[in-house]
Amino acid sequence: MAHGYKAKGPVGRFVNELEETIIAFILGMMTLLTFINVVLRYLFNTSMIWVLETVTFLFAWLVLFGVSYAIKTTSNLGVDTVINLFSARVRKVLALVVGAICIGYAFLLLKGAWDYWANFANLPQTTGRWFPTGFEEMRATSYRAWYGVEDIPLPEILRFLEPLMNEGEEYEKLPRFIPYVILPFGMALMLFRFIQATVRVWTGEATSLIVSHEAEDAVEDARRAHGQGD
Amino acid sequence: ACDDGEMVIKFSHVTNTDKHPKGIAASLLQERINTEMNGKACMEVFPNSTLYDDDQVLEAMLQGDVQMAAPSLSKFEQFTKQFRIFDLPFMFKNINAVDAFQSSDTGQAMKASMTRRGLLGLEFWHNGMKQMSANKPLNLPTDAAGLKFRVQPSDVIKAQMEAIGVSPQPMAFSEVYGALQTGVVDGQENTWSNIYGQKFFEVQDGITETNHGIIDYMVVVGTDWWDSLDEDMRTQLATILNEVSTERNAAVGKVDGDARQAILDAGTTIRELDAASRQAWVDAMMPVWGQFKDDVGQENIDAAQAINAQF
Amino acid sequence: MEVAILFGLIIGLMLIGVPIAVSLGVSSVVFLLVLSDTSLASVAQSLFQAMAGHYTLLAIPFFILASSFMSTGGVAKRIIRFSIACVGHLRGGLAIAGVFACMMFAALSGSSPATVVAIGTIVIAAMREAGYTKDFAAGVIANAGTLGILIPPSIVMVVYASATDVSVGRMFLAGVIPGIMAGLMLMITIYIMARIRNMPKGEWLGWGEVARSFGDAFWGLLLIIIIMVGIYGVPGLTGAIFTPTEAAAVAAVYSFIAAVFIYRDIGPLAGKDGHRNLTLLEKPKALVTAFFHVDTRNTLLDAGKLTITLMFIIANALILKHVLTDEQIPQKIASAMLDAGLGPIMFLVIVNVILLIGGQFMEPSGLLIIVAPLVFPIAIELEIDPIHLGIIMVVNMEIGMITPPVGLNLFVTSGVAGMSMMRVVKAALPFTGVLFIFLIMVTYIPAISTWLPTLLMGPEIITK
Ligand code: NA
Ligand code: NA
Repeated sequence: MAHGYKAKGPVGRFVNELEETIIAFILGMMTLLTFINVVLRYLFNTSMIWVLETVTFLFAWLVLFGVSYAIKTTSNLGVDTVINLFSARVRKVLALVVGAICIGYAFLLLKGAWDYWANFANLPQTTGRWFPTGFEEMRATSYRAWYGVEDIPLPEILRFLEPLMNEGEEYEKLPRFIPYVILPFGMALMLFRFIQATVRVWTGEATSLIVSHEAEDAVEDARRAHGQGD
Repeated sequence: ACDDGEMVIKFSHVTNTDKHPKGIAASLLQERINTEMNGKACMEVFPNSTLYDDDQVLEAMLQGDVQMAAPSLSKFEQFTKQFRIFDLPFMFKNINAVDAFQSSDTGQAMKASMTRRGLLGLEFWHNGMKQMSANKPLNLPTDAAGLKFRVQPSDVIKAQMEAIGVSPQPMAFSEVYGALQTGVVDGQENTWSNIYGQKFFEVQDGITETNHGIIDYMVVVGTDWWDSLDEDMRTQLATILNEVSTERNAAVGKVDGDARQAILDAGTTIRELDAASRQAWVDAMMPVWGQFKDDVGQENIDAAQAINAQF
Repeated sequence: MEVAILFGLIIGLMLIGVPIAVSLGVSSVVFLLVLSDTSLASVAQSLFQAMAGHYTLLAIPFFILASSFMSTGGVAKRIIRFSIACVGHLRGGLAIAGVFACMMFAALSGSSPATVVAIGTIVIAAMREAGYTKDFAAGVIANAGTLGILIPPSIVMVVYASATDVSVGRMFLAGVIPGIMAGLMLMITIYIMARIRNMPKGEWLGWGEVARSFGDAFWGLLLIIIIMVGIYGVPGLTGAIFTPTEAAAVAAVYSFIAAVFIYRDIGPLAGKDGHRNLTLLEKPKALVTAFFHVDTRNTLLDAGKLTITLMFIIANALILKHVLTDEQIPQKIASAMLDAGLGPIMFLVIVNVILLIGGQFMEPSGLLIIVAPLVFPIAIELEIDPIHLGIIMVVNMEIGMITPPVGLNLFVTSGVAGMSMMRVVKAALPFTGVLFIFLIMVTYIPAISTWLPTLLMGPEIITK
């Protein structure tokens, strides 16, 4: 589907297929798990207590993973009324400025995401307030891999993590570094896609980083969404 | 707002500022620090989960983004399982026994038990004893069997509910009132202040005075931040906090009693238990102790029971 | 002062074409790094917790998914057929039927643009064929589509409830009467215009057609009953079955079943190339393959994509909210306003003005996340009912959706109708005027919003 976006080459198509499948799968799982828990509670007076937390994590994964896909397919909303007043040349310069701002944003968020996640994985945060200037020296309190989530038990298959991450102590709950890993991963992907998008503007392949609403795509989208298209 | 040059102490909590025992205590602490330490330190209180909820606040504290908080004791079970003692049913006879236990050597040692994880407990704050409520009369544990109760995320409380045949349901706190009202869940357990503050009594058949457990808080700071303060500052903060804690903990019985009375005045049935039915609740829930004995430590249980005997 | 710079920066960035989400996020981050000691890691925490820590917001992806299945799965066209059977014979009947269909679809869908897409694609084309002007058709649908967020379920109400901790169920109930009122006002306006301009009318197809079309639309409309009974229960029969958030997930699953197994317009049982639909007996393996069918995947992907772009804005608005809270801005604004001796009437005027202006630039949910915590404490202080305030905000958001430059319904309508955005704006103007009058009514007659929830759920409790 991916209206308006055509993947290039076999690798591009494979990656695109993978991204789309992951997004569809996560949303499907969220819906099914929630639904099953309602059925269990209403009909069988029981429930899987870990579902609530799992679904909220999947929700975070959906969005943090999916943002880069939204950038790739230029689906992010913006205001284009003002920039449309300018000539194509000025618009291109503005779009490059916008690209630079987006790259800066993604970079700051990537640093924040790494710093937030790192200690949960017994890894060093970066030093520096705006830009990473190096890695912190690990103190006793910098090791937080022991920190588990609230409700999700550790799946047996992950017991091998205990000697690696938790000084051999038993994990009752899933350690937090697992759900939180989507932060640095998603933000790194976001940075990559913003750089790509800016390059596309530079080479003239694209004109902006936001969805352009006057385009024929929107019509096509709407028709197709309604099953009238091909 | 804080002046330039003052050290900012951010205190984040999840209740209102003037009716809930925790909120009242935090407001008093803020008032005293901001007058007595004017020019040196300044406390900003963020109530009603506006900045962090109980779970996120501990992460933020380890990260250094907030300096003080008073989460429910259940939240510390992640840090040391000893804290499960406070969630075990019928472990403490009443709030005075809780107070005595917390002031004992065992209790005091628990405050420092999380330093290797980066947290230091400074004071315990009381909320009160937990009561049970449901959309039907609860006199015996068998009355609760087959019902669905909203519970806090805690393995002990889940086990306690399962022990009486109740199906524990996790649920965002903001959804609880609506869920009780419409019958998505049947009941819940909480202190008088919380039941009154959240108006749960309006949508329940009545409240059964089980006093089966407690909800208490611990004021914590990050060890990194606390150790970085100079000695005078630390002593003065600790002293003020200690005085506020003593004052508010002594008054909590009144806040609790007022809430209970207000619920009664609103026309809600409060069911008191006679000795026999109380024993039935105890018998039904006691197996949970065995389940968590190793986490809590038999010596701690013994200490609590020795203190209970004095009340 | 700092706040003015902050908001100036956000708007400036938006105007040069920075995505809305990034404008909010990057301004907040810079503000935080310059003015406070709080770490960048806290921004990452806010970002993660925007989804993981706001359980009520989960209703958003589920309601989006439900309406995706409803519109691709043929529910919309059946609702339209039923509407036309009911009111198509009046003067201006097709336009009135369009509004009626939007109202019904709004009761299934939580989003306004989704309502425009589902109903607009069919009705605008049909109206043109029947001899209406394109402009009139587009204006009607762009406006009627906004009912998607006023008639429950509503994504914007979910966001408001999440931002202020009021009950989602109560907000949904509060939207019922205003939603019906706004719909009726639009219909009456159309009818009057139709009489004056002598617009076309359809033929009365008889009660048989009303009954048949209702039968055909029944499985879609049943979802309204499922949602309402599920959330509120039926006195004497059953208690509620699920929370509003869970209701959204149930709606999504039901819509999937309706689309794939009942209507069979999509999925493994759909007849291809003019062939008839298969029954489950003929192809029982569809029970399994339906979950993996390409139509299912694509509907999930479409809903996922919409969720991602919407939640990316909301998450960045939550970062901004976190930064504002961290700097204690809401308290400062509240005390400034209260010190100025603001009364409830003036306060509501100010709220409306802020929201109407903000609505020009911002996507509704993001705007609500930012504005609600700023004005909510003042409203409580002035004893304004939080539910009433919520409905005022929702109606403001409706107007924001059909006014430039950022008006989601305008974008979608211009796409659906194949018209330029400014032409849609002009076309929508008379009906926007109706909504504006409606806003004034809702603002100063609280009972419109509070009567039904108070009747069914008792008086509002304020736990502050
Ligand atoms: Na709706
Ligand atoms: Na607008």
